[in-house]
This record gives sequence, structure tokens and C-alpha cells, in this order.
Amino acid sequence: MNLAARDLRRHLGRFVGTGAGLGLLFAVVIAMQGIYAGLIDDATILTRTLDADLWIVQRGTLGPFAEASRLDPSLEARAAGVPGVARSRAYTYQIIQREVGSRTVRLALVGLAWPEDRGDTIPLVTGRELAQPHGEIVIDASLGIPIGETIMLAGDPYRVVGLTRNALTSSGEAVAFMTVRDSQLVLNELPDEAVQTERQRTLDRLRQTDLGRAQPALEELPVDSRWRAPALPAPSISAVLVNVEAPYQLEAVRRVIAGWGDVTVFSTGEQRELLLQGVVQKAKLQIGLFTVILTLTAAVIVMMVIYNMMLEKTHDIAVLKLMGAPTSRLIALVFQQAWLLGALAYAIALGLGALLHPSFPRRVVITPEIQWGAPILVLVLASLASILGIVHATRVDAGRVLEG
Amino acid sequence: MEAVRAIGISKTFGTGDTEVRALVDVNLVLETGTVAALLGPSGSGKSTLIKALGLVTLPDSGRVLFQGRPVVVDGVAVADVTELRRRYLGFVFQKANLVSFLTARENVQIACEIGETAGPKRRALELLDYLGVAHRADAYPETLSGGEQQRIAIARALANRPSLILADEPTAALDKVRGRTVMELFARVAHEQGAAVLVVTHDHRALDLFDVTYEMEDGRIRPRHASEDTFSPLPP
Repeated sequence: MNLAARDLRRHLGRFVGTGAGLGLLFAVVIAMQGIYAGLIDDATILTRTLDADLWIVQRGTLGPFAEASRLDPSLEARAAGVPGVARSRAYTYQIIQREVGSRTVRLALVGLAWPEDRGDTIPLVTGRELAQPHGEIVIDASLGIPIGETIMLAGDPYRVVGLTRNALTSSGEAVAFMTVRDSQLVLNELPDEAVQTERQRTLDRLRQTDLGRAQPALEELPVDSRWRAPALPAPSISAVLVNVEAPYQLEAVRRVIAGWGDVTVFSTGEQRELLLQGVVQKAKLQIGLFTVILTLTAAVIVMMVIYNMMLEKTHDIAVLKLMGAPTSRLIALVFQQAWLLGALAYAIALGLGALLHPSFPRRVVITPEIQWGAPILVLVLASLASILGIVHATRVDAGRVLEG
Repeated sequence: MEAVRAIGISKTFGTGDTEVRALVDVNLVLETGTVAALLGPSGSGKSTLIKALGLVTLPDSGRVLFQGRPVVVDGVAVADVTELRRRYLGFVFQKANLVSFLTARENVQIACEIGETAGPKRRALELLDYLGVAHRADAYPETLSGGEQQRIAIARALANRPSLILADEPTAALDKVRGRTVMELFARVAHEQGAAVLVVTHDHRALDLFDVTYEMEDGRIRPRHASEDTFSPLPP
């Protein structure tokens, strides 16, 4: 006769209730660990997705994910000329907030260097990469905008041609990919009134110069929307991404570029570390510490619940001992029940996670470490509590039953 | 046949001013097939004697023999007491002390399994039937009356076909009619099943059911004669 099964049958409601309570607790712990893993994953997804060996950024800055980084677009060609460089790509990155349809959405706008980079390294779940230099966009599926839909940015329509999944920034914004040129158009967007004010200021400055006064016909140029003052620099880019021909050339290429006075160069690993140490460090520490505290709290609660279950059986254990029940039978009772309770709680936590994690505002990433670590942790906790329970059971004085 | 023999067993609790001599040179022989009563005021050492004979609390000195075989010598167990309890002993307590999460049948069946009795389920049902509670086989202890619980406790004590059944005030929680019925069961078990039964009791009205009566006072034991009874037994 399996005593653990008999006890569960008798106290099924209480057992399920306890299992559900522990399951909720495990669900919170797993969610916190998943949120922590998601934070790390989100923070580093762009460095992974873009598949660069080196990141060239503005001198003295930590790169576009940490702060504004402005580089002259000509740097792309300079980098391409370095021996050992297989590919160099311009890259822009900016967080924007726009009205899309009836919603206000925040986007991390990533510009890809058309035609060298059409987004072939972006992990698409459906659709395709960019196929035209203008008017196409790849967005994250979390925005809920289907393929083929057109969204208006800076007064121009952009057709959604591809969808990614979980391409989010460390702050949770969905990432949108378009060409560098398009991203610059969107970033430099000015309202009509601002354009008119700027034209008027240009005219005012022109009229104050001898050239303007001598050649009034020049006043027609600022009002032409296609005209751009030749003295103005081309719009800047955020970074240049470099791929080397062979891994052994990485250090040599890096040394050459690091020698340029206007840039700083990072490996992808360093860029990733900068992201984790700088941009998300506080959030990482906060969630990490909270996760540790929550895990420890859950561990104590689980152990106490299981241990108390054993305490409640002290009298029954004393009766069984008086009847001559072998210790192995009592150990089996304690262990089987604790493991069953742990398994039930874990199953409930998994079920709840599958139901609720997609609804979380932050991405919850259940890594293989969490997936395998959580049940092992549950097993260890249940076993530790069982050992405490068994120590208690072996100390139970069978004679107390005779005392009534 | 001799079920149990205690030879000069003594037990002392505490030291100095708090010293209590619970058993003083107790000698006792219980034959199989006999039912014995153990009387005495509170604190006279009855429960300590039950625990000593049940190998729950070992005496400080003296010897205990089961079926002629020494199991405790000078306060030291010379055999596996858990195994002895499993094989030779049955207990019935003041409260039935049934395992709360097992049904009546399972409470008896688990005792059969622990005692390694063949066909534990069948044996459990037979015992419940023998004690007149087969119809309550699937009931949990909390739904049983006190009398039913004690019957099941007796069935449990019989599960391993013990040579010695120790009962510590088994009728204390029952009214006099049910109490006498339980005592009759003990007598029946002793005579039909061939076990030696030692029952601690305060109820003098059922003494006519016992083959032999002992009385304890200040840790000492002596046989009690029928002429010492001040209460008339209830009619059968």
C-alpha cells in the first residue's frame, strides 16, 4: 500500500490547494528569472542581429545604444578601404515616438546601409528583407501590424515587408529596420510650420548678405523643397559596422581604425558588455537582486510548507513506528509526497507561464537554464525539506502514542 | 505457552529530588490464550510496564523474554525491537490512534503489510468481519464512533497474529456498555486467537471477564484476588 498516495487521496483538496499556492509562487519566480533573461536578451539582440565584427562610433562615446553617436557618412568608405575589411556598413539608431494608425508607438529605428545591407542577418519570422531603397520597413510582430500594411512616417508611406519576433530594445521598444536614407528622412522630419520658419530665416540671412542683395534670384532656392544648401553636411550616421575577411585579421583592422582620431572602435563583445554594464546595469541589478531574494524566499516557503506537512503527520508516523513500520516506508511516504507536491507546483507554474507570459509588458525569456534549472531547484528543495521531515520522523517517539 | 516474561525489571525517571521509581523489581508471566487485567492508581507504573513489555521504553535493569527468548537484558535490547514489535506485538491504546488518512480496512491492512502477513487485504477484511465492523471497512476514522474505532484498533492489533497484545486503558473513552463489549472482545481474542492480552484498566466492573488480574502500586506489581473486588460485574 502506498501511504503517500493514500494521504494525497484523503487530503486531495488541501494538497491541490497547497500545490496551486506553491505553483503561483514558482510562477512568479520563473517569470522574474524570465524577465531578467529577457532584459539581457533584449539589450543584446541588436548587437547579435547585425552580425558585425567591429563597431566604429563617435570618438569618446560608448556607441549608439548608450548615447548619441554622430559620424560622417564618409567613414563607411574609409573603413572599407582598410586592409582586411570585407564589408563596412553605415548604421543609424534612434528611438522615436510616432502615431501609427490610432496608436502612439515607440520605435527603435535602425537604418541599414542599402544596398550592402538589406537586412539579411535579421531573424525574420515571416516576409522578406528590404528589396527597395525607399518605402519599405521590417518591424517587430509585437506591434501587431501585418505584412503588406502601410504605415506613415515623416509624411511618407512605408510598406511592412517583413516581421521579426522579439526584436526589442532593453527598454522594450520594438525595433524597426529600414534603409539608412529612409531613417534619416524620418529622423530629420520637421513639421510644415518649422520648415516655413527655417526657410524664412534662410531668406532673412540671405538678404543680410551682399550676395543676397546683389542676386535677388537666389531667394527662389530656399523655397524649393528639393534644394539643399551645398555648404551643409550630409546627415550623420550613428555607427559603421565592419566585418573582417578572416577572424585573425580582427586585431589588425581594429588597430588601424583605433588609430583614427575621430572614432572609437569596439568589438561586438565589448559593445554587448557596454550595453549590459551601462544601459541596463541598474535594471539588471535591480531585477537580478529581486530575483535572488524571491528565489530564496520561495525556497524557504516551499521547505516550510513541506516540512509542516510532515509535522502534521507526526502522530500518524508515531503510530506506524509503534506498529513496527520500517524506516524505509516512512522515508518513502515523506519523499514521494514532497516530490509529488513539487511536481504539481512546477506543472502549475509552467501552465500559468504559458498562459500569462505573452501578456507581460516585458518579454519573458525562458532560457534552457531556467527550463532545466527550475525543476531541479524544485526537486532539491523538496528533497531538502523531506530530509528535514525524515530527521523529524526518525526522532518521533513511538511511545507518545501510548500517552493518549 | 509463555508469551512474555518480565524478570526483576526496574525503571527510574529523573534523579535526586525529582527521581521517580516507576517500576520496582517487577516480575510477570503472561501465558498465551489468557487475558489479564492490570489495575492501579494513576502514577503507579502501569503505562511504564506496558511500554517496557512493548519494547517502547526499555527498563533500566532486569530481563524481558519473548516466548522464552531474551530480548532485553539489564536494560539493553539484545534483539531488533522494531522487528519484535512487528512480529510478536499488538497495541491498543486509550484512543484508537488509527492512521487518519487510511480507511478502516487500510488501517488493518497496513498492519498486515508491516507484519508481512500473507494476503493483507483479505486478512484485513476477515478481521473486520471477526470484530463486527466489516460494514465500516471503507470509512475514515473521523466518521467512526468511539466503539467502532476501538474495534478497528483491536483488528489492527491482531493483524500480525501477535503472541502478545498490550492495551492501555482501551475503554477509557467509551461508555460502560461499549467498554464492556470491548473487554469481551479482548477475552474472545485471547481465547480464540491464542494471544496473551494485558489490559490496563480502571474499570472494575468488567474484571469478571479476565483470567487473571494484577494490581500495581508505587511501581510494584502483585496478583489481585477476586475477593478484593468491590464492584459486582455487569450481567453478560
